Amino acid sequence: MSWQTLDRKSVPEGHLGPALSAAAQEKIRSFFPRYPTKRAVMLPALHIAQDELGYVSIQAMRDIAGLLEVPPAAVLDVVSFYTHFWTHPKGRKTIVLCRSLTCELLGSQALQTAIEQKLGIRDHETTADGEWSFMTEECLAACDYAPCLQINEKMHKCVRVEELDKLLADPQNDKLAMPRSDLYDRPVQA
Amino acid sequence: MPKIIIDGQEVACRENIPVLQAALEAGQDIPHYCYHPGLSIVASCRLCLMEMKMPDPRTKELVWVPKLFPSCQTPVKDGMEVRFNTERVRDNVKHVMEYYLLNHPLDCPVCDKAGECYLQDYTESGGPATSRMVEEKYKNPKKDIGPHTLLYQDRCVLCSRCVRFTDEIAGTGELKVINRGSRGEIDVFPGAPLANALQGNVVDLCPVGALLDKGFLFKQRVWLLKHAKSVSPVDSRGQTIWIDHNAEGIHRIRPRFNERVNEWWISDEARFGWKFIYRADRLSQPRTRNGTALAPVAWEALPDLLRSRIEQAAAGDGGARVAAVLSPMLSCEEAWLLAQFIRDLAPQATLVLGHVPVTGQDRCFPKGFKIMAEKCPNRRGIETVLAHFGGPQSTFAEFLGRAVEGQVAAAYVTAGYPEAWVDDRAVTALRKVPFLAVHDLFPSGLDASATVQIPAASWAEREGTFMNCDGLLQAFDRAIPPLEGVKPDGQFLFELAGGEGLFRSHKVRASVAAAVPALGDVFEPRPLPEHAH
Repeated sequence: MSWQTLDRKSVPEGHLGPALSAAAQEKIRSFFPRYPTKRAVMLPALHIAQDELGYVSIQAMRDIAGLLEVPPAAVLDVVSFYTHFWTHPKGRKTIVLCRSLTCELLGSQALQTAIEQKLGIRDHETTADGEWSFMTEECLAACDYAPCLQINEKMHKCVRVEELDKLLADPQNDKLAMPRSDLYDRPVQA
Repeated sequence: MPKIIIDGQEVACRENIPVLQAALEAGQDIPHYCYHPGLSIVASCRLCLMEMKMPDPRTKELVWVPKLFPSCQTPVKDGMEVRFNTERVRDNVKHVMEYYLLNHPLDCPVCDKAGECYLQDYTESGGPATSRMVEEKYKNPKKDIGPHTLLYQDRCVLCSRCVRFTDEIAGTGELKVINRGSRGEIDVFPGAPLANALQGNVVDLCPVGALLDKGFLFKQRVWLLKHAKSVSPVDSRGQTIWIDHNAEGIHRIRPRFNERVNEWWISDEARFGWKFIYRADRLSQPRTRNGTALAPVAWEALPDLLRSRIEQAAAGDGGARVAAVLSPMLSCEEAWLLAQFIRDLAPQATLVLGHVPVTGQDRCFPKGFKIMAEKCPNRRGIETVLAHFGGPQSTFAEFLGRAVEGQVAAAYVTAGYPEAWVDDRAVTALRKVPFLAVHDLFPSGLDASATVQIPAASWAEREGTFMNCDGLLQAFDRAIPPLEGVKPDGQFLFELAGGEGLFRSHKVRASVAAAVPALGDVFEPRPLPEHAH
């Protein structure tokens, strides 16, 4: 691999992605009074970007860096630290499979292979039609019901490979997005 | 001054330094990657762990604590007792080194860092001799992260020195650790490359072969290089440097620690600003005007020629129409010799401070590193020499003004600038000078009017002292022999001023210092501890 060189000096053609809307930028600014520094608004800003675009594009990271007055690499640092932020488009429905010890012992590996075959995508990828994304996660805190997976915000426990088709076909899958706490959207009291 | 006990030996150390620094200064070789005295402390590499005595909570008696402490993060305290030379500490180093080498490609034979790599050193001194890793190693392509720098990710130990450098010293923050845990990598933001004016320092800072300089890549094995102490001529700050060279010439320039000027760093200008030495159009032969063309002449013939022509021009009026231009690229000793030579022949000769190139504004970085706008090393030194000689003096612009009016009959112009410096005004003015000796590195607009053209040597081919913008006098050694056919400026001016034998700057400096003590007061930076890096 050392004979291959990744060019990091420029953004590959078509990888810049959409920019943040003026409304989203305004919303990020509205968080400034809540914190002692602009830099501290990093996480809310990334949530706003991911809520608006479905993922945090390179252009959105640049926009956030501009608003927060930090180098763009500082935004990438945070985005890449948290697996829940996506740097490439995320599907409408996301399957999150637990890869921790208990689930692993009770067959999560078989589930992963089955999901990857059915959807034709690998870990942290999105199907071409933008319907499904798949990722593994360290622990979903349901070891007593291993192996478990989540589709959007809905937890499925003791999943068997043969049930997968039924789970994936459930028409309710994309209607289970959890509402965010109203604290998050409440304006700051002057 | 606190005293601490390291491995049973009492060591006196400076106040408020970490135990690691104290141990290094006491001459111990303590393995460390992430600690650097110029950067913030993160204690992430876990190599410098030590055993320490602390009070037992019940008996209040000082006892060895069973856990290990990072010595880089523990400040010294009078009377404290620590030890490195124990089985537990050695075990820690061994196991940490084993982790560092898990995915390392072990490609030392093709790695530029081999020979000055602390993965090699610490593995050799305390790491495991063999790898127990049977799984396939994690492989990573290298990354092109900037115009001068490559990142070989699979050699990286994530000490984060480079990240802290761009954050704290350069203040630009281009480098960051992305991803998390075992997937962590150093990276730049796509399209925001590592391109600040100090970026070359990350290559020196990197304790392993992860960050490499494209200009030095695959050029030389480091154990074939010799190191010459030098002072950078790129600006008036006088950054101290090592010139790494061998029989093939200069290969790279690295910072030389200097607590009063550049600390551990140098600017990219200083690092990459030596390539002019190897420009193909350098002057390599003295020439005199023979009719309309310049014809080669022997070095031996020059002193008599210059002496007779200047005496001729000075005849009658004590040399009021003779001038010598002392370039701020000259060392103090060379300027002194030239001034002495001219004033001996023509006591009323005008001494001129040469052209002082200025580009942009002075730049100051967050922790105080400075890049000066004045792009010459020795204006203060020349001014000191001029102040001693007194008599008629002028600036370069005034000198050109007098030349244009035909008031200069003979002029000895020294230059030696890496960049083109002669403008139309200088060409027109100096065309009026009947006898013009030009001592320069490159052909210029003055060639057409020069009576004598003397090839100069670059600073790396000379020795002497520069006085920086704060009046600090610093000596530089010769790194490489001069270009074939060229006599070093100091040697030539020494012979011109009547000296015999070899020019040695320290001997000239000793006689200069007798007249001007300030020109003998050379500042020598404190050497770094042997095992610090």
